[in-house]
Amino acid sequence: MGNSRHLGLMLLAPAGIFVILFFLAPVVLTAVFGFTNMSTATGISGGAYVVSDSTMLALKERYGEQELAERLLRKSYVIDEAGLQAALEGGAARPTVEELREKYLGASFGSRREVERLLKKLYNRPAGIRQIKKIAAGFERSVVNVRYDTPEALLAAIEGYGITLTEAQKEALAEVSYTGWVFTAQNFKTMVELPDTWRTMANTLFYVFTTLILFNTGFALVLAIATHYMPDRPAGFFRSVWLLPRITPPVLYVLMWKWLAWDNGFLATILEPMGFAPRNWLLDTPANAWTFIILINGFVGASMGMLIFSSAIKAIPQPLFYASEVDGASRWQQIRHIILPQLRWPILFITSYQTLSLLTSFEYILLATNGGPGGATEVWALATYMKALNNYGGALQYGYGAAMSLVLVVIGVALSLVYLRMFNFKALTESPKIEQ
Amino acid sequence: MRHCRKTLAALAASSMLAAGAGTALAQQEVTISVWAIAGSTENYRIDAIKMAADILEREYAIRGEDLKINIESKTFTQWSEYKQAVTLAGEAGTAPNIVVSSHTDIAPWAQAGIIVPVEDYVDLDAWPLNDIYPNLVEIASYQGQVWAIPQDTESRPFFFWNDYMKAIGYSDEDLAGLADKVRAGEYTLQNVLEDAKKMQDAGLVEPGKGFWPRPSNGGDFWQFYMSYGGEFATDDGRLLFDREAMKGAYQFFVDAVNLGVTRKNHLGTPWDQWHGALTSGQVGMWHGGTWQYSEWTGKYGLDFFKNVTFTLIPSGGNERGRANTLTHPLVYMITRQDNEDEMVISGELITIASEPRINALHAIKSAHLGITRSEEKVSLYADDRWTREATEVLLPFATAAPNNPNFGQYFEVMMSGLQAAWTGQKTVEQAVADAEKELKAALGDKIVIR
Repeated sequence: MGNSRHLGLMLLAPAGIFVILFFLAPVVLTAVFGFTNMSTATGISGGAYVVSDSTMLALKERYGEQELAERLLRKSYVIDEAGLQAALEGGAARPTVEELREKYLGASFGSRREVERLLKKLYNRPAGIRQIKKIAAGFERSVVNVRYDTPEALLAAIEGYGITLTEAQKEALAEVSYTGWVFTAQNFKTMVELPDTWRTMANTLFYVFTTLILFNTGFALVLAIATHYMPDRPAGFFRSVWLLPRITPPVLYVLMWKWLAWDNGFLATILEPMGFAPRNWLLDTPANAWTFIILINGFVGASMGMLIFSSAIKAIPQPLFYASEVDGASRWQQIRHIILPQLRWPILFITSYQTLSLLTSFEYILLATNGGPGGATEVWALATYMKALNNYGGALQYGYGAAMSLVLVVIGVALSLVYLRMFNFKALTESPKIEQ
Repeated sequence: MRHCRKTLAALAASSMLAAGAGTALAQQEVTISVWAIAGSTENYRIDAIKMAADILEREYAIRGEDLKINIESKTFTQWSEYKQAVTLAGEAGTAPNIVVSSHTDIAPWAQAGIIVPVEDYVDLDAWPLNDIYPNLVEIASYQGQVWAIPQDTESRPFFFWNDYMKAIGYSDEDLAGLADKVRAGEYTLQNVLEDAKKMQDAGLVEPGKGFWPRPSNGGDFWQFYMSYGGEFATDDGRLLFDREAMKGAYQFFVDAVNLGVTRKNHLGTPWDQWHGALTSGQVGMWHGGTWQYSEWTGKYGLDFFKNVTFTLIPSGGNERGRANTLTHPLVYMITRQDNEDEMVISGELITIASEPRINALHAIKSAHLGITRSEEKVSLYADDRWTREATEVLLPFATAAPNNPNFGQYFEVMMSGLQAAWTGQKTVEQAVADAEKELKAALGDKIVIR
């Protein structure tokens, strides 16, 4: 008994690993990223400690360290023994180093370019710009714009150049000079503060529930019931036709809708003689855009429900229909009292499954309206994608995007729980009373 | 004897083989990958590097080093996808050696450590880099370092369809002097709206086609912010949000829609529809980019100088308003790699690719403007009327966006506010207030609101 239990665990282990890697880990990572300010500029893999114009501006403003900031920003290159030694070790020719020592020992410069120019003027000029840059870098005696991996390395370098810092200054410097991301709850605060957040949320709920009720369950149910009462062959044909949007590649499918709706497309062409000025029907008003988006998504989404409901209706024992017909039941009564009660399970399944998939799906909206006109059809998942991964300015905000995704995860879980309750999941999974 | 000859031949052959093998062993082979954003006429962004590789190989050979450079390239046409690809490749440690991108990417990519300062790898004091226009070098600099080498430059003019301007009362002399009037602030955006309306009322163009802005998201819209006196950044390098100027810019597009000279859903118009309409005289006025000249005169067969007059973007007409144009140079950047040699060779390649004759190929083919003074002496470049005139009329007044790690975010917020106002989703006041709120929340003290 014990052995077989272990065997079961072992057999499940690969699946478990996949579940953890591909399902659990992304959610956990999203949650972690959501509490950071990670962006293109901060990078993902971690930052460096840099003394630069912008970090020193922060040192001045946040900590009032005017003098220190200016001192740190002073660039300095000094021809000293240490630099000459480094040049020799780096492969510089001895005559070059000797000439430098003889003529310029102790000289200091404000930029590396000046040192490079000096090296180029030497009688024993180093061969090639690569060598020149290497030697010049060895004379640098400041930390400006150098990337240090740890604050200790930065502070050690600063002290090495003879600048002593107090503990408070060290702490301040470590904080402002860091270019990477930090943990913060700011994303959620920002999200609540922004008016567009609420508009996007309202858009999302409207999109999900309208598409769901009208098409993904409603129309799917109509199709399933209608085809149930049809002879097999035409029923099969209709079902196949309704599968077409699902199997057409999304880019092509949306392009066909665009051809229909563009201001020199099909709709504009046939409506023009009727007195409607040509216009982009897809993007003309928010109402138009929503109509198209719901149709585009609904036609794709209805097919899955149709298949599930059709097969569920097929599974209803045929004698029930015969008996009802003997009793004189109308089609409506059959639907009302036989089909719908039997479809409770599949309706629950389709409703929750499609809610979750609509919540996270945005590809058709991206292709059709890209959230337009003026953000009127921007849904949460699209906004998340735009913030985190794809925008014109290239400002990818991974942290904020992750925070937005996390909200979606929470909404998804909450809605699933509501559905289970609404459809009385417990009763559905109870063992049949007759067998007790 | 015969046998002997055979043996000799075999020996000779094997020694030749051995010698060949010896050469193969001494040869250093390096693969440099280059990514660029490139439309159909912009192949020289990559090809210049390939040409440079050929020259560099020869230079190495003369110095006695056998270097074989393989160039791997990839091009993109959409900015958002391109920037995403470079950023994520950089994070994954698989960034291409050289990227050609917007100068505004320097700041975020530098801070993230994706790119290295180009000045560490090239000799800015040597030709041809010392010949690059100083303002372009400035645009490629960030925090006191030169991070990239300019690859091209351009600017974004305002265009007028000559026949329609004449039909509403402008003489040939008026049109010839229009650029000066715009520059002096005597012809403003208000005149643009009036004239566009006149063209429509006279039945010259269809309603909604008096004035056609760029059909998609783009830096061009910042010009209207500048038209109303807006500036990008403060002197200490912080971003600047000028409430009044932003309001002016948003209001201009809303007015255009209300007057009926621009369509409310114009943004999102397919590019080919846009090019097609304005090159066939269906549009009275529009604004676009100097590089689009190559497409208009090539693919669309437009007789440009006969039909079109171009100027700076007119001033908004308010006190602080000014005529302006935006330049958005693309730059060659070197990414951080473990292999130092590859970074050095990348620097050498970029340097050669910037030589006037090579850069002129790109400039003229794609109707961009050159990067070095000497380019003006390359006959291919000097003989081109468009390049010459565009350089004279526009470049001296061109402004570039700031190199600031947060500018991309500012850009997105500005654009989404503009779209919301333009399409009537928000009032101008509301759109400006929301943009301000979002910028304050997202950027805090990194942006100054004025």
